[in-house]
Amino acid sequence: MSLDWENSPASTDYSVEELVICVLTEQFNNGEQATNGMGSFIPVAAFMLAKKTHAPDLIWLASSIGLECRPERIPASTLEAPLWRDSIMYLEQYSDFWDLVSNNWITKFCVGAAQLDQYGNANNSVIGSDYHRPKVRLPGTAGLADLCSLNKKLYYWNLNHSPRTLVEKVDFISGAGYLDGGDARERLGLGDGPQLVVTNLAVMDFHPDSKRMRLKSVHPGNTVEEVQQATGFELLIPEEGVPNTKAPTQAQISLIRDVIDPDGMRNK
Amino acid sequence: MQEKLTSLEEAIAPICDGDVVALQIMATYMAPMALVRELIRQNKKDLGLVVLIGGIAVDWLAKAGVINRLIGAAVTMEQFGLCQQYRKAVEQGRIRVEEISESVLNARLGAGARGLPFLTTRGAIGTDLMKENSDNMKMLDDPFGGMPVMACRALVPDFALIHAHRADRYGNIQYEPGARWPDLAIMPKAAKHVVVTVEEIVDSEVLRRHPERTVLPGFKVDAVVEVPNGAHPTSMYPNYGYDTQFHREWTSVSRDDEKATEFIDKYIRSPASQSEYLELIGSEERLQYLQEWEGKR
Repeated sequence: MSLDWENSPASTDYSVEELVICVLTEQFNNGEQATNGMGSFIPVAAFMLAKKTHAPDLIWLASSIGLECRPERIPASTLEAPLWRDSIMYLEQYSDFWDLVSNNWITKFCVGAAQLDQYGNANNSVIGSDYHRPKVRLPGTAGLADLCSLNKKLYYWNLNHSPRTLVEKVDFISGAGYLDGGDARERLGLGDGPQLVVTNLAVMDFHPDSKRMRLKSVHPGNTVEEVQQATGFELLIPEEGVPNTKAPTQAQISLIRDVIDPDGMRNK
Repeated sequence: MQEKLTSLEEAIAPICDGDVVALQIMATYMAPMALVRELIRQNKKDLGLVVLIGGIAVDWLAKAGVINRLIGAAVTMEQFGLCQQYRKAVEQGRIRVEEISESVLNARLGAGARGLPFLTTRGAIGTDLMKENSDNMKMLDDPFGGMPVMACRALVPDFALIHAHRADRYGNIQYEPGARWPDLAIMPKAAKHVVVTVEEIVDSEVLRRHPERTVLPGFKVDAVVEVPNGAHPTSMYPNYGYDTQFHREWTSVSRDDEKATEFIDKYIRSPASQSEYLELIGSEERLQYLQEWEGKR
């Protein structure tokens, strides 16, 4: 399929999942190495879209296993062999993957979290204050705790922007963000960290000094007030105002719908 | 050479109540499910389970009351959702979770495999995992003057349970080329005892044609059992895919204690053998469908 994606006009007919995918895809560029984790239809779509448009030389490591894989379309699972079809290498997790990750040969990680707080700390472990008798036992940290502390640039997505998912303080830190803010992360010797949070309502980044979450853009159709109200803490609002999130292009939308994800896994 | 070939019953019998058992599993990917069912049939109790990413096996073991603690990085059935029986058991305090991250699990098992007191990582520094696992994870100054690292205490499971493509009668274990997880690379080396099921037992001459595919020497293996489709309902690349319908059948009852018990009775306690189990899930036609997963799902 040859599409003039560079000059494609803005779409007016897109879903919130498609908008999130298109915001994320711009974060991944030629010459970078990025990976995804479990349950990752949105990041996988973003990587596949990047490779079909502005970043054909993005190095995508599927689920820490399949290097430069070439699935025809997004399969039913992001943690099974059909995703890493046609890879150039399988990274053996114990030796290859953690060696390359620890030495920062893989630099970007796109991931979801059940809770994120104002300093970008992530929780996928437990809801509730008693770790051993939690209100909700979540899946667990998997590799998130490692990737957060091993100098990765982290891109979070969240399709349920609410005061329950964006909280002042996470119930449990399963992945270190900027901890208590300021230079707390740096003092532990942890580099990089959370870069962007893309939700169904808005895009947030982090203030360079305080490390507090800051509103970057609001998706078309939502207001700053609505986003603040759906957030469990006070967002930093830039004085110069908050722009609307750029709409996806028609080419991006047709690539997502017709080529990358015709089965609609992004909506599951 | 010592023969290691045995039955599921005899392979699992030596596991004592309270033992720590490491289980190869990665959500819906390649788990020794026939061994898991045998743990339930033999009514094992109070086991500690070590997993990288536990799936349906953990849910079944939780429901059947086989495990009372879990050391691992995550438990999920990926697109089939959370393990509800496991979740309930943890929330009610019946299973104690020692959650550790993947690099910490690797370090702990790696230390166990090498007879070292600990190995180190810089993963998970700054998280609450450290607070809840202070017996096993401690910050350590770099004796060479760099940044502090995290020491991860050696973990030596009593048993490791794995499923592989083939073995000979002496327990030399071989895999087809494919993605491999740390639970394969390191769990069996760290464990005191190793029990393996395989899709087929072959003559040693067959293994010799591809020695690069042998991952575990027979002398490290206690027991090997031939169990075709032994990973069902998880996948066994490239032989067969995970069973979507069967996972859904479980998740449709797994929130309901009574129906979950019926499921366990029907599919796990009643069948006397692997072939009876396979007949229950639909036999030839169904298995053939699962074998054709590549390219479809």
